[in-house]
Amino acid sequence: MERRNFLWWGGGMAAVFSLSPRLAIGGSVVEIAMQGRPDGSKVWFDPYGVLIQPGQTVRWTNKDKGNAHTATAYALENYDHPRRMPEGAKPFDSDYLLPDESFEVTLDVPGLYDYFCLPHELSGMVGRIVVAAPEQTGFADYPDGDLNAEIIAGFPAVTDILARGSLQKDE
Amino acid sequence: MTRFFAFAALALASLAATPVLAHDPADAVATNPPDAPYQKVNTLVPLPEFLPGIGELFVDPATLPAGPFVAYNHDGKLVSTIYMIPLSRMNADTSFDDLAAPGGNVDHVDIYFNAGHPGVEEPHEHIVLWHVPVAGEASVAE
Ligand SMILES: [Cu+2]
Repeated sequence: MERRNFLWWGGGMAAVFSLSPRLAIGGSVVEIAMQGRPDGSKVWFDPYGVLIQPGQTVRWTNKDKGNAHTATAYALENYDHPRRMPEGAKPFDSDYLLPDESFEVTLDVPGLYDYFCLPHELSGMVGRIVVAAPEQTGFADYPDGDLNAEIIAGFPAVTDILARGSLQKDE
Repeated sequence: MTRFFAFAALALASLAATPVLAHDPADAVATNPPDAPYQKVNTLVPLPEFLPGIGELFVDPATLPAGPFVAYNHDGKLVSTIYMIPLSRMNADTSFDDLAAPGGNVDHVDIYFNAGHPGVEEPHEHIVLWHVPVAGEASVAE
């Protein structure tokens, strides 16, 4: 049902798409793939930065045939990691997803959600979701003293996410 | 000179004792599954049973992270022995000595970077001793 909605919108609204990307994805499930090169030399979330509306659902699916991945929110509850989620938001953790397995979470509280892949955090496999109502502003990056530089470098900038709605990494 | 001669004689003697078996894989690892203490990697950590490009992987958990890991194709034949060396340990203060190599003849070697996976989470190098010709790698491609 949601999918059909999305397709229907896609046809008529193409011209408006570039002006207001958040209208175009409103109501649909936002898909994020866990990806890897066949030899395992690189792993990433695709897209690694997304903009959604409060109440929207994000679904991660492992598309990497030779690896397991997780989508784990930055929070003390998750392996003692620093908190990088809005106040009042509940931490999520997919646990290990084998190839073709999925996990989804619905995010209601506006703000920045940073998350990592448990076995690949050290390789910079991290992602960011900005939950924002239309026209909502005032989002800022988290101060970066809480994680090491390689991990920090893995996050997309909030301003880029707000400007473009969805950000992909090079393979 | 004397010492060299003694060594050569010893080498010849051991060759004579095991003229053929010297280069075959040890019985313990020749076919899937290998003998204990090797265990199937996907029963130790969450990973697919068959890893594209590698095959079905076994390791003695006591030897982690370096291994050896032994890998099998769909026919249960040993195709490679793999060592996994974390980049953080490739330094002046760490060495890996006397790693076991039970797989027999080595046809060629691959060394490549891996970003990590359950079991060896850190970024590391895979050092792969292939016991089959290059064309044989296709038997574990997927
Ligand atoms: Cu991962």
